[in-house]
Amino acid sequence: MTESRHESLHEAMERIRGTRVWKSIFRREPARTNRTRSLAIFGNLLFHFLPVKVREKSLRVRVSYYLGSISFLLFIVLTVTGILLMFYYHPAVPQAYRDMKDLRFVVTSGLFLRNLHRIAAHLMVIAVFWHMFHVFYRGGYKPPHEFNWVVGVILLMLTLFLSYTGYLLPWDQLSYWAVTVGSNIIKAMPFFGDKIRFLVLGGNTVGENALLRFYVLHVVVLPLIAGVFIAIHFWRVQKDGGLTVPEEPASVEPSLSGKPDSEK
Amino acid sequence: MPAEEMGKISRKMRVAFAVSSMIFVAALAISPVKDLRLEWKQNKRAYVRFAQTRPDTKRLLADFRPGIDQIWLPELGVVDRCTTCHQGMAQPTLPDAGVPQPFRTHPPIPHRVGDWGCTVCHRGQGAATEIAEAHETTLAWEQPMLPMKYIQASCGSCHRNALAEAPKLNRGRELLAEFNCASCHKLQGITRAAMPGPDLANIGNKVSREWIYKWLKEPRTVVDADGTVKVNGYETEESPRMPQFRLNEKELVALSGFLSVQRSRSIAPYKIDPRVIARWDKQPDVADQGETRFRQMFCSTCHSLAVTRAGETKLIGGEIGPELTKVGSKVNPDWLLAWLRNPQAYLPHSQMPRYEWTDEDLYKVSRYMLTKLTDSDLLSGVPKFEAASAEEVETGKRMFIEKGCASCHAVEGVPPQQDLGPDLTALGGKNISELDFGQSKIPRTLPGYIQAKLADPTTVNPAARMPQYHMAAADREAVTTALLSMTGPPATSAREKLVVSSRTAPEFHAPGAFGRVYERYKCAVCHQFNGFGGTLAPDLSYEGSRAQKPWMIDFLKNPQTLRPTLILRMPQFNMSDQEATILADYLSLSLQSPAVDPQGAGAKQYTPQMAALGKQLYEVKYQCQSCHTIGSAGGYVGPNLNNAGNWLKPEWIEAWLKNPQALVPDTIQPRFNFTPEEISALTAYLGTLRQSGKAAPAHASIKVAAVRGAGK
Repeated sequence: MTESRHESLHEAMERIRGTRVWKSIFRREPARTNRTRSLAIFGNLLFHFLPVKVREKSLRVRVSYYLGSISFLLFIVLTVTGILLMFYYHPAVPQAYRDMKDLRFVVTSGLFLRNLHRIAAHLMVIAVFWHMFHVFYRGGYKPPHEFNWVVGVILLMLTLFLSYTGYLLPWDQLSYWAVTVGSNIIKAMPFFGDKIRFLVLGGNTVGENALLRFYVLHVVVLPLIAGVFIAIHFWRVQKDGGLTVPEEPASVEPSLSGKPDSEK
Repeated sequence: MPAEEMGKISRKMRVAFAVSSMIFVAALAISPVKDLRLEWKQNKRAYVRFAQTRPDTKRLLADFRPGIDQIWLPELGVVDRCTTCHQGMAQPTLPDAGVPQPFRTHPPIPHRVGDWGCTVCHRGQGAATEIAEAHETTLAWEQPMLPMKYIQASCGSCHRNALAEAPKLNRGRELLAEFNCASCHKLQGITRAAMPGPDLANIGNKVSREWIYKWLKEPRTVVDADGTVKVNGYETEESPRMPQFRLNEKELVALSGFLSVQRSRSIAPYKIDPRVIARWDKQPDVADQGETRFRQMFCSTCHSLAVTRAGETKLIGGEIGPELTKVGSKVNPDWLLAWLRNPQAYLPHSQMPRYEWTDEDLYKVSRYMLTKLTDSDLLSGVPKFEAASAEEVETGKRMFIEKGCASCHAVEGVPPQQDLGPDLTALGGKNISELDFGQSKIPRTLPGYIQAKLADPTTVNPAARMPQYHMAAADREAVTTALLSMTGPPATSAREKLVVSSRTAPEFHAPGAFGRVYERYKCAVCHQFNGFGGTLAPDLSYEGSRAQKPWMIDFLKNPQTLRPTLILRMPQFNMSDQEATILADYLSLSLQSPAVDPQGAGAKQYTPQMAALGKQLYEVKYQCQSCHTIGSAGGYVGPNLNNAGNWLKPEWIEAWLKNPQALVPDTIQPRFNFTPEEISALTAYLGTLRQSGKAAPAHASIKVAAVRGAGK
């Protein structure tokens, strides 16, 4: 009885696998043979993501452990909480500040949500800087990592821009004056400072247009650019031979591949 | 480390991971727990528990919702969540003090809370659902709730006119106007008087330098700590005038020197006929006769004098002109004669009527004022001054400008000052961070700041130019309330439509011959004409419908009061026949009420039978004599009706008896619901009351006003 039912279930599954819909979604056969199994492994997304080889040394728990990953994780946290916050936010004067009040006083766990976003943003700036220092002192800017170093610097700038554009959005005194000061710093640039400031603020003062511009930059433009550069960054980590480790010529510690570091 | 050990995880690591995971989960749990324990949710639960202890639980919980309650008024920009915790606000059964807050019923107010929200009046943070955030100044919200003792300020933010429900606000606004605060500060709804203080361009002709010194040192008008206004040490109803400036001896000398040389228009001394002087000079009672004339002319309607009775000294008389108790020690005799004959020659905007004088009267009254209304001690403590030196005048002029004297007083060569003090039109909405408390120990609140400034301007800024005002604590609170009501232009355009402003009637300027007489005798200082003018005497807007012309002429020439208990009466102007006729003509033709139909009652025939019935109704049924006098019997609340037949027009009497409030809205004459027959009978009876011949001379003695103001 049970066996016949198992049989029929199996047949049903096979029939489904034979349909055009199934085939259009899943490119490969089920992993039944060695070939299909190895294809499943090599086709796995994580192999694009994780380095081919990892040095034991880089896995030791220390203060600089996983800083890049922590930055990425914070980016994910910020994306998720940011999308949730967008449900409650209008980039308009004076509704923007009222939305802050609503988040605090009315939305269930709204304050927690806002704090998560804000604290994660602060932590991300710290983590990214720390990551940069760490890579720098490890000599991560040297060949063959030069390009990824440059990508990292761009990501650092993007992180700071995201942080700064997000700062205006609560539309309180702190944010208003921070952006006023910041945009006046832009104005101090020789020759075209005025023009750039006008471009950034969408006007000559920090007003409704500035809020809208900062909002669009904060939730659409900068995160998309950052996403692209993060992908490139990860891809290059893998292509450039994994995480950087300080060169220790005298080292005889075995690596994952069983060969000394110097031979890699 | 061997490759095969790579994947192994030490026990220590496992423990560390387990502990940090637990901490992480616990941290995640903080938010939901805090969410459950929010203040407003606790209050919601407390209200349900409270309602269950009351007999009317069911009704109290009828529209209970466990979520947030709010009043949302987009056009006012109001999102008030106060009712989330203040649950019982609209419940009629929870008004007593035993009900714990925040559940008590809101006291009755003229507005519906649902239409206006809470923060429009109470301020604070309406959107907040936490106790401290909603009520107090916090890091992200500066405007705290308005303390309840200043709550009437909120009425004044929208209502720019006087409100019967807000006496404290009205008092505060009155005081702001009386103290002439608008001379130096821009105020909301209180306009700057054209001439807040006397014109000093010619002061050197009027008073001596010693007197000026004395006045600057101790302005006679002081509102003491009890809030009573004292002039020369006598209590008075007069409004407070010059405040006390902090002047040192050098400044006093310089200022008095500068003012004593202000002689912009020389006065031509009037020479009284020497024969008149020769005749009256010898009479010992010339000053007493002057006093009699002074009283007969009813100078006291506008000017007060100190009168001592039963050991108590009080100022008695009107408030329109200055108090005159010590005028003889103040003014220059030549100036006095010139002034009495033509006040406008010295002061073009003076409110004093230009009396018609005989030399005899002028001599007697001036003798009275210069010899009886004096105080030999007035200038006793004052040093004798020489004529002011050029240097003193120069310093005095600088002082005059620096101290802001030109804000209230005009002097030639000094441009008028305006807005010497800060603009206060938006003071009531200021945040604490916008106020400069200096090193003072004033409570860091807006009302605290205003109160301290009013009590002593030097507490905040030792170099403050603002003079010292002496006010009672209650008055200070009233002024603070009025200032707190000045919240600047309304926040949104939608709100602006809600501002209720007071409407001032246009000035009444009459044309032609009537206009000249009207201006000469300054009728509008006491009487109202179509909403413009003083409130001291009856409104004359409809006088043409009320009084008969021959009576008016007689009355104007020799005003005989209709209300003998009043002390403020119409002065005797010694008007000529021609002037009286001009006034009576204009009044009877132009100033008529649309509610009184001259054809309606005028054509009626009143028979003696009707009059007899009317007399009976008057005396028996309606007991009119309890308020009105006929002959020598009757009350003093209403006017004397001895001469009603000559005085009042029948159509007026009919309309009046039908509905007195339709003609004079605030009259205290009751509305009796007479039948038409009764009205005709009473009118017929009043028409028979006529006095023949010349009237008796006006009452000369001053009486204390027992029912002053009750005559309205």
